[in-house]
Formats: sequence, structure tokens, C-alpha cells
Amino acid sequence: MDMKDELEPHVRDIVRALGGKVSEQEVERELGNYLNVYRVSLDTAKRSIVKKHGGNPADLSLGVTKTVRDLVPGEQNVNLLARIVSVNEKEVETEGGSKAIRYGFLGDGTGTIPYTAWNPDGVELAKGDVVRIQNAYTKEFKGRVEVHLGARAVVTKEDDALLPAVEPSRAAPAGPATAAKVGELRERMGNVALTARVLSVEAREVKVDGEAKTVYSGVLADESGKVQFSAWKDFGLAEGDVLRIEGGYVKSWRGIPQLSFDERATVTKLAADALPPREALAQSPRMWIEDLAERGGAVDATVRGILIDVKDGSGLIYRCPECRRVLRKNTCRIHGEVQGLADLRVKAVVDDGSGALTAVFGKDLTELLLEKTIDECIAQAKEAMDQEVVRDELADLLIAQPVEIRGNVTSDDYGLMMIVDSARILKVDVQEEARAMLEELEG
Amino acid sequence: MIREVAWRLFAGEYNESRLEAGGGGDRAPTYVVTPLGARVNRLFAVGVLTDVENVGTDGQPMWRARVSDPTGTFHVYAGQYQPEAATMLSKIKPPAFTAIMGKSRTYTPDPGTVYTSIRPEMVKVVDAYVRDYWILEACRSLKQRLAAMREAQAMDPLTKDGLVALGYSEDVADGIVAATTHYGKVDLPRYGSLLAEALRYLLPEYRAFVEEPAPAARTPNAVAREKPKAADDVEDKVMALVGELDKDGKGAPWDALLAAAAKAGIAKEALEEAVNELLDKGLIYEPILGRMKKI
Repeated sequence: MDMKDELEPHVRDIVRALGGKVSEQEVERELGNYLNVYRVSLDTAKRSIVKKHGGNPADLSLGVTKTVRDLVPGEQNVNLLARIVSVNEKEVETEGGSKAIRYGFLGDGTGTIPYTAWNPDGVELAKGDVVRIQNAYTKEFKGRVEVHLGARAVVTKEDDALLPAVEPSRAAPAGPATAAKVGELRERMGNVALTARVLSVEAREVKVDGEAKTVYSGVLADESGKVQFSAWKDFGLAEGDVLRIEGGYVKSWRGIPQLSFDERATVTKLAADALPPREALAQSPRMWIEDLAERGGAVDATVRGILIDVKDGSGLIYRCPECRRVLRKNTCRIHGEVQGLADLRVKAVVDDGSGALTAVFGKDLTELLLEKTIDECIAQAKEAMDQEVVRDELADLLIAQPVEIRGNVTSDDYGLMMIVDSARILKVDVQEEARAMLEELEG
Repeated sequence: MIREVAWRLFAGEYNESRLEAGGGGDRAPTYVVTPLGARVNRLFAVGVLTDVENVGTDGQPMWRARVSDPTGTFHVYAGQYQPEAATMLSKIKPPAFTAIMGKSRTYTPDPGTVYTSIRPEMVKVVDAYVRDYWILEACRSLKQRLAAMREAQAMDPLTKDGLVALGYSEDVADGIVAATTHYGKVDLPRYGSLLAEALRYLLPEYRAFVEEPAPAARTPNAVAREKPKAADDVEDKVMALVGELDKDGKGAPWDALLAAAAKAGIAKEALEEAVNELLDKGLIYEPILGRMKKI
């Protein structure tokens, strides 16, 4: 029987994971039971059997080869045959300090999916390669399934002919563009049309595939918000221009949607009064955290909420003079024992009743909130013989307070983060607002 | 793991909750679902801490606090697994404006009876402004849920997809469907008046009904409206009932007290007020959640 042949390697995998203490016949019978009677997935069945007999499901090594379209969140031991569509690198902060990871998209004939490789050193990932991936796992992030390559993942290069070439998700503009407001832009939208005013623009030289190019980047805005943009052709953009852009596409940087457009887009200058004046559009829009989470991030947003936690690592800290990493016991993870540079910061949780974000306040803002200079904080810590006194004071000052914070909001696996540009303790006229709400209620 | 939002929720709504949902998977969070469909895993509340006591032992303390808002009383329990919150609670001298952030908890002593409480992660003494601002936030939140529930009640049949099509998020839609399935048609006017009452609480023009002029230094007590003269009589009656209904020595069950009070012509609000007063005066105590006992 085909079914039996197909299951045999999995039966052996289970027996091996259980150290041979359960017989193949018994495992085969149980596996059949799980699959045919209870109709759970093969992966779930294997894990359940191992667990039931006191083994550790992590000892299973043989996953189930799947197609991209079949993947659901929370799968372990995922095997895939896929083509690497893109490879990017970034530094992330983990519990053990910062770390270089790779991420991008991979795909097969059924679709494309984001991936993250947490230990890229031993793993060969080159754009365009067909690879066999073993022991990956999946997670959900913002409603999408992602493939994660952890410590146990194995990647081997395969014959290119095994899979068709994957088209990049960005289709060339064809047909009418989709109209959108700036606030409606989302990652991976293609062929969008929008009307916006240039708040700032500057030319930069960049290298793309070894070739020097000029990119014009800055910030665009309409009544619904602001967005960073990159124009890959000289459209003669100037600050204050009102533009109609058709055929743009949206990428994202740490969750913040960014608009790109190139020679395939149509860019028309409109009358200066087609949108509100620059000063009005330069205002920071007030947003709910729930909406920020749905968008993935935003440029220059304002949030009102309660500061509900001042996290560890807030207050007076010391950084490595070489790499700016935060020191532990005067020791940098990379550069060893060093003479640290003092710094002040607050890592707080702000919750507005619709969601929560991590808000990071730098030295200047922290000094402002404390009404104290960093030198005074150093003196205070010396006197108390405890660095934590500064954090305690911040907690005392800030926790449970209504605050208004403004800055760029990014997102990653751990949620939203705002790098705060300006902040204040929020004082509103409670009576006035209550009166307005009551009048509305009573009609 | 995305952090659970901290709901701003009145005790008057939270304590009416009888439904717990979620907890399907190994580490899936559980939610208390309120009659208006808020799915609450974490909440942030600010009110007046009126009493705090150790209901555990010296070796294994369990601090129980009562925090009142304009609509009711939150019950807050902190033990050895909430060391910071427990230490904070133990130091507060009531009455004090207090902010609590914590996890929603339910206690079901017998089938059909559900008590809600908060297991605090953060406890902090705040000022009157922070409390007033919280009331405003809780009003906004309640107003949104009322509007959503009103739309839901107009739908026939009520479906999650239908709510999502109206522009509500999946979470909101889930909550409304779960609440409607469990509680039936919710009495919206009742929550509407709760909202109006909370707003009026913030406005000095509505404090005019107080017969005697309020003392210059108003006691910062959320339930410190002027007490009618009859209140002492009610307290005496309630005190007697607590004694009568304490049949097994474990204290008078709240439900029995409620029923007996209704028979004696004491409204639920008056009963709650009397019980609060008796608790404050130290004449009765709550040996376990939902039981009242004479000292």
C-alpha cells in the first residue's frame, strides 16, 4: 500500500525519537489510529504519540514536505522545497544582545511566504536558488504565516529545474491603478494611485547590484497621514509640490509602509491648493494603537495612552564606547570589559485601551521628564550606591500617568515600538470632555 | 506574542460577567467576556482603595483589596506570585486613589455562580486627576461597546461575518457574538444609564443633590455621597441578615443575602452600600469571596 510506504519513514522517526522503547508495530498501529480515526495532521499525530510515551517531540527529525499554500501557523518540523525570492539582512535585539539575521521571501508553485533565518551562518541562502528546507517551523505574524529557520533547520541546495521561477510579487503597472489615501497604504500593495504633498525630498546616491543610482527620497503626506517615499527616477520633485502618482508600489521597513515609484509610474504635478497647506499636513496625526498594529507602523504618529510599565534597562545605563551596546557589569558582550559611557533612557509600555506599544525615550527626553541632567543622575546613583534609583524614580513619576507621545512606529515579532521624538504628561479638561460626551448621549 | 491590551472597564460591567472563554491551546490566554462583549484578559482600573487586608496567613499572605469606581467595586487579590503588587497593596493606607493593572480572574464556588476579580501586576497610588481621566476613558470604552451592541441587536441573524462587514474588528465581533450567545439580549438602557451616571460623577453641577453642603475637604472616597438618614437602619437590617444566613459558619452567601434583602425591601444598591459600610467599619468581613461573616 502506498500509504504504508509513505508512513514508514515517519514510523521509524517516532521509534527513534522514543529511543526504541516502543515497537514499530505498536507505533504503526497508533499512527494509523490518529490519522484514520481521529484524522489529525501527520505532524500532530507524530508529536502526540511521542509525548504520550514520555518522549520529547523535539527529538523528531523527519518533517512532512509541504507546499507553501498548505502551511498553517504553529507547525513544527516543516520540510519545504522552495525557491529563495529575496534575501535581506538585519540586526535584531534579542535577549542575548544584538544578532544578524536574514529574512525575505521564498516560494514554490503555490505561493510565496516570508521567512526568517535566525542562524544564517551555517545556512546557504542565495537569491534565486532552489533549496530543500528541513525542520523549519511556522508562526503567525499580523495574520500571515511565516517560515522560521531556527537552530535545527537544515538547508540544502537543489537542482534549479525542480521548481518554476517565482515571479516577484510586484507586478508591473497594468490597467488602472488602485486609488488609496496615504493612511491606507499597506505592505506589498502594487500599482497604487494617490495624491499627496511633498513635505521633504533629498537626492541620495545608492548602489543597486553594483550600479550607482540616484534615489530621491523624503516624506509625502495627505490628510490621512505621512509616508516615506523613494523615487527611482528624477521627476523634478520639490518640497511643497502636490503630486498625483499612479503606478507606485509599497514596501515596508520594519513594518512601516513605504511608497516607491520608478520610470513605470506616472507623476503629475497638481495645483498647490489641491491639498491642505504644508503646515497643516506636517501635523502628526493622532492614532489608535490598534490601527497602528493593523498598518504595521507609521511615520510621525501621535498616541495618547497610559504609561503602564517602565521596563528593566530603563534609567541610568552604561554603553560600550565601541559599539554602543548596553553593558552588563561593565562588560560588553563583544568588546569585553570597557570603560562605559553613561546614558539615560526609558523603555516603557504605553497602552491606550485599544492596544499597547513599547515606547523608547532617549537621553534628552528622559532628562526633560526627570527635570534632571544625566550628571545629576550619576551623582544620585553614586550616593545611593545603586544605579536602579534612577529607574525607580522614573517608575514613580510615570507609571499610571496619561501621556501623549509622538514619533515613528515600527513593528517586529514582539509588537509595536515607538522611538519617541516628543512627549508630555497629558493634562486634559476632564469636566469639559465629560460634559460633551453627556450632551451627545442625552441628545 | 503580542501583548494583551489593558481594558478600561467599570466594575459595574466587569462584575456582571459570568462567562470565561479561550484557553483552548496550551498557552492560549483566557478571557472574561462581559455582557457587552469585551473580551478581557488584562484590565486597568483606577478607583478608591477602601480596604485592604491579609486574608491568607503570615507565612503565605494573600492581600485582598477593594477598589471602588462610580459603578461598583473591584476585588483585587495578590499573593506570593505577585510579590511586588502584594507588597504595594500591603503598604497602602485606605482610602487612597489607586491604579491597578492586572489579569482578569473568575472564581466559581458552585455551578452558576461566578465572581470576578483582578490579579494585579501593577499597583500604584495616584491622584484625583488620574482617577478622573480613567473614568473618562472607561466611559469612552463603554460608549463604543454600547454602540456596537446596539448595531448587533438590530441584526437578524447576528453573525460574526455580518459584524465584520459593518467594520468591526474580528476581536470585537467575536466578543459580541460570544456575549449574545451566553447572556441573551443585553439590557442596553441599563448600561446607558450606567454610562450617564459615570459621566455625571465627573461634573460638579450634578453634585447639587447633596442635601448638606459638602465639607470643604471632601473625603476622596468614590462612594462618599451623602448617606441618607435611613442608611443606618438598612445597615442594622443587613447586619442581622448576615447573622441569620450564616448557617454553616462559613459566612452568609451573597446570593442568599441578595434575595433576603430584596424580600425586606432593600434594593441591591442599598445592600451593596450597606455591606461596604459594614466592611469599612470592621463589623463584617469576607472570609472567602462571596461570603459575608460577622466579626
